[in-house]
Amino acid sequence: MTTAAHNNRLPLTALFGVLLGAAIMVAPLVWTLLLSLKSNSELMRDSSAAFSAPYTLENYRAILVGSDVPRWLLNSIIVSLGTTAAVLMLCSLAGYGFARLDFPFRRTLFVFVLLGLAIPEQAVILPRHQLFATLGWHNSYPGLILPGLAAPFGVFFMTQYFRAIPKDLDEAAMLDGASRLDVFWRILLPLTLPAQATLGVFTFLGSWNDYWWPLISATTSDKYTLTVGLAAAQMNYAQTSGLGFLMAQAVFASIPILIVYIIFQKQIVQAMAGAAVR
Amino acid sequence: MTSLSLIDVRKSYGATPVLDGVTLEMGDCEFIAFLGPSGSGKSTLLRIIAGLEMADSGEVWLEGKRIDALAPGGRGVALVFQQYALYPHMTVRENMAFGLRNAKVPNTEIAARITQAAQTLEIDQLLDRKPGQLSGGQRQRVAIGRAIVKEPKLFLLDEPLSNLDAALRNRTRVELAQLRQRVRAAVIMVTHDQAEAMTLADRIVVMNDRKIQQVGAPMEIYDRPANRFVARFVGSPAMTILPAQGHAASGGYAQVQLKNGTLIQTRVSTADLPDDGEIEIGLRPEHVTVTAPGSGTIDGEAVIVERLGDRTLVYARLDDGSEIVAVDRGDSSVRMGVRVGLQIDGACAHLFDADGTCHHAERDQL
Repeated sequence: MTTAAHNNRLPLTALFGVLLGAAIMVAPLVWTLLLSLKSNSELMRDSSAAFSAPYTLENYRAILVGSDVPRWLLNSIIVSLGTTAAVLMLCSLAGYGFARLDFPFRRTLFVFVLLGLAIPEQAVILPRHQLFATLGWHNSYPGLILPGLAAPFGVFFMTQYFRAIPKDLDEAAMLDGASRLDVFWRILLPLTLPAQATLGVFTFLGSWNDYWWPLISATTSDKYTLTVGLAAAQMNYAQTSGLGFLMAQAVFASIPILIVYIIFQKQIVQAMAGAAVR
Repeated sequence: MTSLSLIDVRKSYGATPVLDGVTLEMGDCEFIAFLGPSGSGKSTLLRIIAGLEMADSGEVWLEGKRIDALAPGGRGVALVFQQYALYPHMTVRENMAFGLRNAKVPNTEIAARITQAAQTLEIDQLLDRKPGQLSGGQRQRVAIGRAIVKEPKLFLLDEPLSNLDAALRNRTRVELAQLRQRVRAAVIMVTHDQAEAMTLADRIVVMNDRKIQQVGAPMEIYDRPANRFVARFVGSPAMTILPAQGHAASGGYAQVQLKNGTLIQTRVSTADLPDDGEIEIGLRPEHVTVTAPGSGTIDGEAVIVERLGDRTLVYARLDDGSEIVAVDRGDSSVRMGVRVGLQIDGACAHLFDADGTCHHAERDQL
C-alpha cells in the first residue's frame, strides 16, 4: 500500500515543471485581465501600471454602453448556435442513414463524404465566395452559417456512433410497434447524446473561433462576429480606443467560450482522450 | 387449434440458401424449441416469424391470419432477444410500457399490466431502475416482462439463457417452465442447448443444413432419431456410431457384424432396411456398460474416464481404432489405459442406412 501510494505521488521536479508550465500559460491571461481593469490614460503613460492599483471597471462599462461588442457577441452566438444545431441535426440524420439504411451507392456516397475531410477550406474559399456573392448571401446570418454545415467529420463521427449501437434495439422497438422515425427519435437519438455533446462542443468552438469566412462574408460592422470585430478594433493603430479597452473586449469575448468549456469540460476531455487512444 | 403455421418458407442471402422449404404446424399454447447448430437456419426462421426478415417465398399464419406481409409490431408476437435489447435510457417501467404506448393502450391498463407482470417475475422492486443498474438475470426477467405485458399470441425466445452463468441458467430454466404454465401462450424458443430444449419444450424441431430434420417430443427425438444427424446432435455424450456389415435376419430382426467380427443382435426389423448391407450401428452410452475384460460383447482400452458422481463415462478405443462411450457405476475403478469389457445392449441399438436414415428397435420389444 505504501509503495502504491508513493508511486501515485508526482515527483517534486515534475510538480515544479507542471506548476511552471501552468504559470507560463496563465501569465498572459492574467496580464490581459489586469490591463482590462486599468484606465486607458494611465496605461498610455506606463503599460506596467497594470500590476499596481487602482483598478476600474470603466472599460467594461464602455463595452456595454458604447461599443459594437455586444452586437458582435450576439452575432457570434447566433452563428455558432445556428451552426451547431444544424450540424447536429444533419450529421445525426446522415449518420443514421449511413449506419442503418440500405440504399443504392451507400458505400460510394460515404467515401465521397469522407473525401471532404481531405479538402482544405482554402481550396474552396474562392468559388464559395463567388457563389455566395452571386446568390446575394454575403453579409447575412445564413451566409455565415451555411458553409459550416458541410461537416464530413461530423457525419463520419455520428455514423460510427450509430453503428456501435446494437441493431437489436431497433428491432426490439419495431416489434414494440415503433415506426422508423420513432426508432430514430425515441430510441437511437437519446443514446447518441454523448456523441452529440462532443460534436456539439467542437462545432460550437470551431464556429465561435472561425475568423476567415466571417472576415470575407460579413462586410459591415453590424454583421461582424466577435473574432472579426475584435480584429477590426485591433487595427485601430492610433490606439484611440485604448489598450485597456482592447483587453476588456478580449476578456469579454472569451466569457461565453469559457462558460462552454466549464459546462462541457467532461465531454471535451473525453473527446480528447478518445482521440488520443484512437 | 393451430397457433402458427409455416408453409414452405424459403430464404436465401444472395446465392446462399439459409432456409429450404420449411413447413411446420404448431398447436395452441404449445412450447416448441428450434434446436440446431450455428448456421442451421433456426434464428433466421425465428426472425421471419417475428417479421425482422422477409422470406423469399412461403407463408406464415398465426391463429388463422396470414402475417408474413405485416410489420413486426402488427403481428401479435413478442420476442425476447438473446442480448435482451432493453432500451438503456429508459427505466424498467418505461421499457415495459414502450410497446403498449405505441399500441395506444390506456395508461391505467398499462400500469395494471406492468404491475402484474412485475409481480409475476418478482421485479417489482426494479421498476424505476435503468437496465445498466441490473444484473444479467434481472435484465433477462425484464426482457421477459416486456414481452409478457404485450399479451402476444406467440412468444419468441432467442437463446434466452445463453448469457447467464451455469447456476443462473439452471434456475432460470426452471422458472421459465413455471412461467410458461402461468402465461399459457404459444412459445417458440431458439437454442443450441439440447438440455434447454429437452426440459422446456413440448416438441423439438431439430434443424440442420437449412432444413427441419425432425419434429417430435423430446424423448421421441432422443429415442427415435430420424437420421444420423439427429442421433448424433441430441444426447450428451453423443451416440456412438460404428460401421457394421451385413444384416442377417434372426427372427425378423437384423443381426449386424462389427469390423472385428463381433455379432450384435438388434431389434430392428429387417423389413425396413435396404438390401445392400451398408449400415452403421448407433449406441447410446447408457446401452453400453462396462464389465470385466473378456466378459462382455467386446473388449477395448479406456482412453478417457469422466467421473460424474452418479455414474462414470468411459471412452474406450476398440481394437479396430474406433471409439465407443460406455457407462459404469459412479464408484467405478476403471482407470485410463486399462482394458475393459463392454456389454452392448443390442436390443436398444439403432441402425443407419447409407443415406443416414435411422431405423429403430421395435418399441413393443423394448
